[in-house]
Amino acid sequence: MPQIFPRGSNLVPLKIAIVLGALATGAFGAFWYYWTPKYTRVGYQPEQPIPFSHKIHAGQLQMDCRYCHSFVETAAHSNIPTAQVCMSCHSQIQKDNPKLAPLREAWETGKPVKWVQVHKTPDHAYFNHSVHVNRGVSCVSCHGRVDQMDVVYHAESHAMKFCLDCHRAPESGLRPLDEVTNLAWTAPIKGKESAKQAQLDLGNELKKQRDVNPPVNNCAGCHR
Amino acid sequence: MSKRILNHPTEKETGPKYWRSLGQVADTPEFKSWVAREFPEGASEINLETSRRSFMKYMAASAALAGLSLSSCRREEKNLVPFSRGVEWSVPGKAIFYATSRPHRRGAQPLVVATYDGRPTKVEGNPFHPSSKGATDIHSQASLLDLYDPDRSRHFRHAGNVVEEKDFTAALEALVKDASDGSGIAFLTEHFTSPTFRRLRDDLAKKMPKALWAEYEPLGGEEARLANEAAFGKGLRAIPNIAKADAILALDCDFLGFDEGTLEGIRSFSQRRSPEQAMNRLYVVENRYTVTGGMADHRLRVQAGKVGAVARQFAEIIASKTGDESLKSVIAKFPQTPAFSAEQGKWIAESAEDLIAKKGAVLVLVGYRQPPAVQALVHSINAALGALGATVVGRKTSSKPGATIADVSKGIAAGSVKTLFILGGNPAFNAPADLKFAEQLANVKTVIRHGLYEDETSLVLRGGKQSWHVPAAHYLEAWGDGRASDNSILSQQPMILPLYGGWSEIQLLDFLLTGKKSEGLDLVQETFKQIARGIDTESWAKFLHDGFLAGSQAKAEALALSAASVADLAATFKSSEGFEIVFAPCAKVDDGRNANNGWLQELPDPITKLTWDNAALVSPATAEKLGLTQDQKNGLFVSWLRIEANGDVLEIPAMVAPGHADDSITIALGYGRTFEGRVGGREGNYMSHGGWGAKKSGVGFNAYKLRTLAAHYIASGAKVSKVPGEKYILAITQEHGALEGRGADVIREATSETHKHEPGFAKDQHWLHERGAMDAEAEKRDKKGYPIPQSAYSHPELKDKNHQWGMAVDLSICTGCSACMIACQSENNIPVVGKEQVAEGREMHWIRMDRYFVSNMNDREEKIGGTHLANVNEPRMVMQPMPCQHCENAPCETVCPVNATVHSDDGLNVMAYNRCIGTRYCANNCPFKVRRFNFFDFNERQKDKYFRWNLINEKGMADTLKMSKNPNVTVRMRGVMEKCTFCVQRIQEAKIAAKVKAKDTDKVQVPTDSFQSACQQACPTGAIVFGNTKDPNSAVSKTKDNPRDYRLFDYIGVNARVSYLARVMNPNPKMPDAPKDAIMGHSNGGHA
Repeated sequence: MPQIFPRGSNLVPLKIAIVLGALATGAFGAFWYYWTPKYTRVGYQPEQPIPFSHKIHAGQLQMDCRYCHSFVETAAHSNIPTAQVCMSCHSQIQKDNPKLAPLREAWETGKPVKWVQVHKTPDHAYFNHSVHVNRGVSCVSCHGRVDQMDVVYHAESHAMKFCLDCHRAPESGLRPLDEVTNLAWTAPIKGKESAKQAQLDLGNELKKQRDVNPPVNNCAGCHR
Repeated sequence: MSKRILNHPTEKETGPKYWRSLGQVADTPEFKSWVAREFPEGASEINLETSRRSFMKYMAASAALAGLSLSSCRREEKNLVPFSRGVEWSVPGKAIFYATSRPHRRGAQPLVVATYDGRPTKVEGNPFHPSSKGATDIHSQASLLDLYDPDRSRHFRHAGNVVEEKDFTAALEALVKDASDGSGIAFLTEHFTSPTFRRLRDDLAKKMPKALWAEYEPLGGEEARLANEAAFGKGLRAIPNIAKADAILALDCDFLGFDEGTLEGIRSFSQRRSPEQAMNRLYVVENRYTVTGGMADHRLRVQAGKVGAVARQFAEIIASKTGDESLKSVIAKFPQTPAFSAEQGKWIAESAEDLIAKKGAVLVLVGYRQPPAVQALVHSINAALGALGATVVGRKTSSKPGATIADVSKGIAAGSVKTLFILGGNPAFNAPADLKFAEQLANVKTVIRHGLYEDETSLVLRGGKQSWHVPAAHYLEAWGDGRASDNSILSQQPMILPLYGGWSEIQLLDFLLTGKKSEGLDLVQETFKQIARGIDTESWAKFLHDGFLAGSQAKAEALALSAASVADLAATFKSSEGFEIVFAPCAKVDDGRNANNGWLQELPDPITKLTWDNAALVSPATAEKLGLTQDQKNGLFVSWLRIEANGDVLEIPAMVAPGHADDSITIALGYGRTFEGRVGGREGNYMSHGGWGAKKSGVGFNAYKLRTLAAHYIASGAKVSKVPGEKYILAITQEHGALEGRGADVIREATSETHKHEPGFAKDQHWLHERGAMDAEAEKRDKKGYPIPQSAYSHPELKDKNHQWGMAVDLSICTGCSACMIACQSENNIPVVGKEQVAEGREMHWIRMDRYFVSNMNDREEKIGGTHLANVNEPRMVMQPMPCQHCENAPCETVCPVNATVHSDDGLNVMAYNRCIGTRYCANNCPFKVRRFNFFDFNERQKDKYFRWNLINEKGMADTLKMSKNPNVTVRMRGVMEKCTFCVQRIQEAKIAAKVKAKDTDKVQVPTDSFQSACQQACPTGAIVFGNTKDPNSAVSKTKDNPRDYRLFDYIGVNARVSYLARVMNPNPKMPDAPKDAIMGHSNGGHA
């Protein structure tokens, strides 16, 4: 009986398996990478209705974060300032700048400016600004150097791992309470130790002094 | 290591038996299967209405849709929208609390309401007000849902057509011009306690002196007013001072319920129920079980129509023993009543003796539903027992008796009423049947109806050419005021603008005075100015802040009995004959006004555990006589009853109620409504598969149709028969979460006498071992050789050294009112699932109220269906609230394959919803059956749309309902397990607040008792205590130190964080029904 398939076809199943395996691995890898917040979130930089520059306000003019985000120390939510807050300066300064037209309109009509959300906590997680800020976790830990951004972008991943890294080792982020909104601050270096070691030394000291014990295995700390 | 076997104790043949349903007493196969299964048969399967063919169609369609949605896989741009101008006090995401009050016919309820970003989300009692002290009732808790009810009236209507507000105001202006002296105008209103309403009414009565002012409340107190007037003269009313009473006899008076009772009364009663202090004693005479009857030390069940006879016999004994002449003169006029049986006679005689012995510190209470003659007789009994001035004080009544609905009815018949204003109420539905009020309304030229819903009355008016419907504003939307049950003046401030453009009733009255729509605030301030003799910013701000005007409560007045007029009234008593029908207020829908509230419809009745229906309650003996049967499957299948009374016929399903009087039928009012409400109206009672055939739609059955002016509360001489054939399904939860008949361990009770000698009786577990409980092979044993309970599960680390949360529930003072259940539902975004789902055992309440009947197994002569059973006719009743027990060695945690339920450092058994994949192993392994599974998207779908395929069927709830959710608690989706979290959002909030305050220091411990769980906050008796067990000063630590403290199922070593204080009763040993066992719970030979 003549052979239906040539000899070379013996390897076809193996080849198919290898190709399929490579495809599956590739797809898996692609999902792995492209579906993580590190890829989907970091670098997100939407256009805002008013080209507000944090670099000018927070960096150049040295305005404190809490001047505008006034409830960050009292509430879970760090508020976006009302048009009223902006107008307390801009009714005098740059009062005819066409870029500020939406702001003036909001002030006159009462219809608020629709800012575009950059940082977002998933609905199933609960985050409280006040407890972090009041215990010495700086804005910079999660939001990056906003004082150097002309247009705000998403600097850190805000994935669950990102939270847990810090909750497991809070010493890596703790600082004196009056330096919380100073985004340029670094721990003072003693002698020859590295900057990282300086932070850990201070952080450990503060952790002990403040009895810092963030939820790690307590799911209900963030998911409730 | 071999597998350890943990035994549960066996039940004893003698001694008390704890049971929940007749099915359990009879040990029917249905009950056994119910207990053995995690969910009832078929509950885990979908009764998919769609055929296979349409299922395939949906599948194909959804696949196509999925393709569409993939291609549009982009990040959604979301906006952050701040205010353009800052709003005072407003901090985004933080709650603001406002004091206000909820109007109610028996006194407004002082409240504090939490609002988030301008929407009210939770109602609490006002902790500053002396009558509330932070507690609430179920109706106040649930009223929040009414605010957001999408079925509420949202249009002005003229002759049934939707019109603009200005059309109505124009018509009203014309009417005011023509009104002149008010002849031809009549007002029919609810009983409003608001001082502003009364001020405007008086002004209007001056302006239109010939107008008729009538009040109607279907559950009003006209009989009580007559009796008070006869006894103490006009304008005075007797108020019980329950705190001072050592012994109380309640004659058909549900003073611990929310209709008849006040929060103050409930609290002062329960403060005397702890055996650590001098306990009071409660005797109750009633026809059906109420929560008051459940708290009774001794209970006598008689027909409601025979309560007068009990009172008379009681009065005779008191008169002869005390020699009180005025009481004797009253009895002489009170008609003779038939004698009671020997045992009932002894019951009455012994209780009378006890009251005489405690003379001066006793109280006899009588229900407002009893005839005036009986109530007047009780006033004179109180006088003879020295109660006046001690346990009964006088109070001036603030309202003048006006006309009644009967006067309005007469006016319509005579043609003298041409313009009728109906403010609130729902007379077309609930007026006495013999007035035929709904038909009469057609004979009135102009009717202006002001109401929260387009209810039966508004529907009747849609036909009338000159009829108007005005949407009312909810109390959380309108300025107003009110008087509490202690007569103090309460503020009522709006939290939100009217969602549907409603008017308040004071705005409507003021329009008639001034011809324009005023601001409610101005009207209330004007009243305040008059009452407080002046107004300034400070006093007004304090009034709003506190929620009440300090010092405005009524002062106690002296009472003097006028025996002659009491005797005249007593002479009007008529004995009842034959079968009686008792019209009772419903603990949930009240007189029917709460019918469209899903939380209340789904709340199991505190006694019957019935949801989404009412039924005719009959005693087991009467049921046998009438041939009524019932069996529990998925729902309780019951017989229909035909009741003929007062010239009308009602067909209604009958339910057997243990502890009910024979030859008596109780029907709760307020059901069978026909308005267009999706919850409680015509379409309300959704069930996809069978149940009632052609006989039924809507929720429950309307008993108002049997109720007449003369037989307002009790109709005697009814003809009653069983309707052969079809059965009706009741959704009843009494067997849901049954703990395999382990009631003897679950409930522990003793008499006060035993408690005195042996305060730690509940702790003793040795009797359990003697009945074979526990691990027989345990290695660790105590001195007596009994095994020390050990868990099969590992113990969590519990690293938090500052906080460990726990709860203790005092069974001595828990009445079972179920306020905790509604508070929990509101706080934790618990969905309403509908009657069909409840029948399947899928209700979602995180805390359930287990009601146990207790009967003495020694009295086995009582029979049902030919089998020897426990005494089902005269059981006692015990309540037990059952939240998640937060076991330290939690059986649910070890079986979860995805670690979705784990233990937290502060001792909570927590659920991570996002991890849960819905295996339901945890629910299966929970010994307390407290876990709830979202079988459907209850929060996203209407109750008739659960089943269909996801992408095709319409999804979503009304936007207003979304506004009612607590923003701090996840709204759970389908396929997720959930359960009590100990209000973890409140715990976290308190912990965060402590940390924020601690700043640079290590003072992170939450201050002692600085917050409460929702159930604890609502509890009117303070039975639920929650807090930090690591804090020795916390209330919960102190409560857990009480020797009565015990934990459930300790013998399997679960180490529950919820513990219970054993119930202690204070029975009178001379009574014929005094318990024979000293330790009532388990009747252990060693203790008796």
